[in-house]
Amino acid sequence: MSSRDINKGDSKNKFYLQVTIATIVMLVVFILSIGIGRYTISVREILDIFMGREVKSMTKRVFLTLRLPRTIMVLIAGIGLSVSGSVYQTIFKNPLATPDIIGVSSGANLGAAIAILFFTGSNLTIAAFAFFGGLGAVFLALGLTKISRTEDITSFVLSGIVIGSISQGVIMFLKYIADPERQLAAIEYWSMGSFAGITSEKLFSILPYFFIGIIGLFLLKWQINILSLSDEEGKSLGVRVSLIRVIVIICATLVVASIVSVTGLISFIGLIGPHIARMLTKKNDFNTTFLSGIIGASILLVADILARSMASSEIPISILTTFIGAPFLAYLMSRLN
Amino acid sequence: MEIKNMKKITILLLVTILSLSLISCAAPEEDSEPIESVEEAIVIKDHLNREVILEKPAETLITSYYIPTSIALSLDLKDNLVGIEAKADKRPIYEMVAPELLDLPSVGTMKEFDLEGAVELDPDLIVMSVRLEDAVNSMEDLGVNVIAIDPENSELLEESINMIAKATGREAEAKKLIDYNKEKMEMIEELIEGKDKKDVYLGGNSSFLSTASNKMYQHDLIENAGGNNVAGDIDDTYWADISYEQLIAYNPEYIIGIPGATYTKADIIEDERLQDIKAVKNEKVYFMPSDIENWDSPVPSGILGNLWLTSVLHEDLYSFDEFQDDAIEFYNEFYNLDLDRDKITK
Repeated sequence: MSSRDINKGDSKNKFYLQVTIATIVMLVVFILSIGIGRYTISVREILDIFMGREVKSMTKRVFLTLRLPRTIMVLIAGIGLSVSGSVYQTIFKNPLATPDIIGVSSGANLGAAIAILFFTGSNLTIAAFAFFGGLGAVFLALGLTKISRTEDITSFVLSGIVIGSISQGVIMFLKYIADPERQLAAIEYWSMGSFAGITSEKLFSILPYFFIGIIGLFLLKWQINILSLSDEEGKSLGVRVSLIRVIVIICATLVVASIVSVTGLISFIGLIGPHIARMLTKKNDFNTTFLSGIIGASILLVADILARSMASSEIPISILTTFIGAPFLAYLMSRLN
Repeated sequence: MEIKNMKKITILLLVTILSLSLISCAAPEEDSEPIESVEEAIVIKDHLNREVILEKPAETLITSYYIPTSIALSLDLKDNLVGIEAKADKRPIYEMVAPELLDLPSVGTMKEFDLEGAVELDPDLIVMSVRLEDAVNSMEDLGVNVIAIDPENSELLEESINMIAKATGREAEAKKLIDYNKEKMEMIEELIEGKDKKDVYLGGNSSFLSTASNKMYQHDLIENAGGNNVAGDIDDTYWADISYEQLIAYNPEYIIGIPGATYTKADIIEDERLQDIKAVKNEKVYFMPSDIENWDSPVPSGILGNLWLTSVLHEDLYSFDEFQDDAIEFYNEFYNLDLDRDKITK
């Protein structure tokens, strides 16, 4: 065995150790999260529910329709946003790329605003509009890239900026005509994100799209690694760079749109998760993306625990993720210098 | 080897998530006790057209924003409240009528309802806004009784009061309150009949350059009190922003500020740009008192807003002293409160 192989083995072992520790941390905060809430449910009662033993019916209902779905939603949101953030950063070769780089957040925001203004504004309607708004924006951006005929990264980013800006413009107009007390407040509030209204019904409505997207990304992990190289290198390795890039973008979009459609916008998780993972592994491969999902989920679970226990009423989740994320980015900047 | 491990971890993770999700899928057991005497059950149709059935009058109550909380106070339900909206300390009337309300757990705001927190308080009934339809449905799924109300105008307010009264067995109190309102409205109508309408400009909360448009409760308030809303041509459902020029062109005889306005009488009277307006020249600028309740909105004491404005616009027909007497009587009768006369200002 050559020394290179030993090094490789070492780094693999280190990676497994990191994944194991991160997973343990994630499970610990997950368990904390299902144990904490306004409604008192003891650890014993939670165990009884899982074991199928007799528990007060209201306790069981609160746990199964509110507490557990919410915690699972936070978990998959953390995983999904971090994984897609990491994938975007890889394929756009830009460490600051977020889901919004290709317009998905602005599109979802626009969809939500339209639902709030012109339709009943019930959460499921908002979710559906946000979901299709996010997908629609990305497809428009992809179409725009196609028109530009130079399907390189710059065209994707520029198309994303164009579509994002148009969405923002329309959102501004909608905000202007909105009734300030109800609709404007609802639009603003949506853009700050919250898990407070998550129920089992909402969770199940988005799970299929989330899984299609995330499984797609995992299946394409080899191709995603290739996309981090130059297009020429990718082509020389036999990868249809343009096609794969579009498929990867669509998968990541499905993940992000399915999450934000029910939670509203959640900032920074798509940046912090991947950056911490990269600091740990010192690499930019799909393993790092995988690790970033676990880290992102842990951070978001902690943020959500704080969101529902810090004040007498819920704090929007993006306030917390921003306060955790922005100082961290500043720290990263100082380290890079 | 490493790929296998990666796959294992991935699969393990996905299976964990999936199985947890599936567990939560299991429908909660139906164990609600059968309603014993169906004949006596209370059936209420709320503003979301839902039918709410109560076996017996609700003893414990949660109100999720200030209008239902005020209704509860006016129906003598203060001892039945177990949870109220956040920022309760912003409502002076709570502190005057029932300071213990400020210590009650908060169940959220108009934007967000604390589902778990509300269940924890184990109320017989929750009164919410129709705007929180999702939370209403979630609570219903959990088996908690909820009434959704939409008291946007006087009629809907009356319906809301009746719904809450029916659910809590306070029909007599509600009838008394509604009869009082009707009686006073008739009194105003008789007073102002055949009298000239006064041109009134009503400034909004944030600035005196925002004003009540014609689909608002405040527009009706002006018209009810024998005024003419100078901004009545603005066809909108919310406060409309206007310019100085527009306000000067309206040239109202009266300028009215609402409770909680962020500007003062001096801000208007001393504004050089407004010196030619009749209301400023004659110092006919009045502010509703802000230390009691928002009489400019559909709350149980909203009738006092109509009476206040009538006395301001038609002092000769209904003096401010008479109004103060009426307001004191109102709070005494319905809130069991001795209201300080000095608080009733204009």
